[in-house]
Amino acid sequence: MRNARIRFAAFLAAVVAAAAGILYAQYDRGYYAPENLGSIRQSAPPTNSDSAVYAVEAYPLYAPELAPGEGREVVQAYCSTCHSTRYITMQPPLARETWEAEVNKMVKTFGQPIPEDVQPIIIKYLQAHYTPASRKK
Amino acid sequence: MYQERVMSRRRMLGTLAFGGVAAAAGAAAPKRLPNREQLPRQAHALPAFTGPSPNPYWNSVGPLAEYPQKAPLVLLTDRPAQLETPRHYFETAFTPNRAFYVRWHLDEIPNSVDLSAWRLGIEGRVARPVRFSFDDLLKQFQPASVAAVNQCSGNSRSKLQPRVPGGQWGHGAMGNALWTGVRLRDLLEAAKVQPGALAVQVQGLDQGKGPERNGSHDFLKSLDLKDSVIDEAIVAYAMNGEPLPLLNGFPIRLVVPGYFATYWVKGLTWIRALEQPDDNFWMKTGYRIPDTPRGATTPEEVKAGKVKTVPINRMPVRSFIVAPDGSSKLVAKLPVTVRGIAFSGYGAVNKMEVSADGGKTWSAAELGEDHGPYSFRTWSFAWAPAEPGRYALAARATDAKGNVQPDEAVWNPGGYLWNRIERQEVIVGRGE
Repeated sequence: MRNARIRFAAFLAAVVAAAAGILYAQYDRGYYAPENLGSIRQSAPPTNSDSAVYAVEAYPLYAPELAPGEGREVVQAYCSTCHSTRYITMQPPLARETWEAEVNKMVKTFGQPIPEDVQPIIIKYLQAHYTPASRKK
Repeated sequence: MYQERVMSRRRMLGTLAFGGVAAAAGAAAPKRLPNREQLPRQAHALPAFTGPSPNPYWNSVGPLAEYPQKAPLVLLTDRPAQLETPRHYFETAFTPNRAFYVRWHLDEIPNSVDLSAWRLGIEGRVARPVRFSFDDLLKQFQPASVAAVNQCSGNSRSKLQPRVPGGQWGHGAMGNALWTGVRLRDLLEAAKVQPGALAVQVQGLDQGKGPERNGSHDFLKSLDLKDSVIDEAIVAYAMNGEPLPLLNGFPIRLVVPGYFATYWVKGLTWIRALEQPDDNFWMKTGYRIPDTPRGATTPEEVKAGKVKTVPINRMPVRSFIVAPDGSSKLVAKLPVTVRGIAFSGYGAVNKMEVSADGGKTWSAAELGEDHGPYSFRTWSFAWAPAEPGRYALAARATDAKGNVQPDEAVWNPGGYLWNRIERQEVIVGRGE
């Protein structure tokens, strides 16, 4: 009797272990990794009054990292008068002549007063870092 | 490395536990151990750069960013703000205000508006120049509402090949809202537009740092007074039954049903009846499309200077698969509902078709509730993939004018009018 009980208990344990083993092979669980894609902080609710003024806080800036290289400071200075330099980094890689045309458009069409000797520096910088040949990521 | 180690230890434990007792217990061996690709991995960020090939993703590839009165949206540019609506917000016919995309042209956009000082002015070739307060608009006019899609002219620009400069939108530079306000026609009548007026020009509160009387200083758009759309246009003070978010044009914006969003001026403050054709940059140079079927041309024709252009106007018929979006594997024989939206600037979408074989064969989808000819129309299609494998789902809309979404790409230098059939690849796994 006692032997039979032990044998039965051993059998039960084996079944449970086997079931656990099978389950183990069927699922994976409990994976966490310290790597993440970052998080965004929530904004606090605004404090408003019942006046006729409808306001929001300052719009956030997200300055991009421009490629390091000769002319970067000039580009930073002249190309961010009217818009953020994200207008540069957002673009797909553009042909050399397209960048030249873009800078010319800013000067001639949109009236940005970029001195004549500075324009080629800006064009060269954009061509050096933001064409299909020069931009890979 | 970290994962490798965890996996191998885990696999070893599983194998030991199983192997050690299976024989004694007489348990059946599981048919298949999970292979390495099926094990959980850490999330990878979307590449931030997709050129020079077409952007393969549904949305633009920028990070999500937090803005006032907004849910996190996909950031294109920060100054001026250009933000795209993530795909899942298109599961419903109406796009929530907090998720509605944002696109400004000039960097000085309003952070606040004082309605005790703000007035909408109607001037130019009118007998009675008038100024209306927000309260006047509410009290003196019969309100009118329209459900209408607002879509950026450059929506989907990142799909063009070769790529073109401009905002690199995915498909999320669009939204649908119930707009409520005053009919533009009622306002023009209140000011008594005089004979001889050709067009109505609109200007909002945004301003740029460029020289005066230049496109970099003022954003100005105009509509021909003979255009029938004038009778449908609304000056909206409410969007989905709420005030407009500042980023979407508080206190009022022009709503031009069926037309691309470039005419839907935000923070609308001046309406001018013009006697001369509008020759400002945003009409004469910007936002123009080739005067060809579908607005299509080639880089060669552009270079040769052969392309005659006209101002962009109505939106061609489009449709989108919103779900499934490829983020989850489907299971063979498990029915799923393919869902999406469709619209056309030429009138109601009255037919939707779905293909599960990349566009070889098509079946009719069911249309959702009709909110009017200029609204998103939801649609759904019951589908049960019979076999495991890779499927290319495709959706095709037809509008009341008989326009069918084409399967050919379109190219023009502005990156406008993209409306080809969209596809969604889904992977179906085995059920046993």
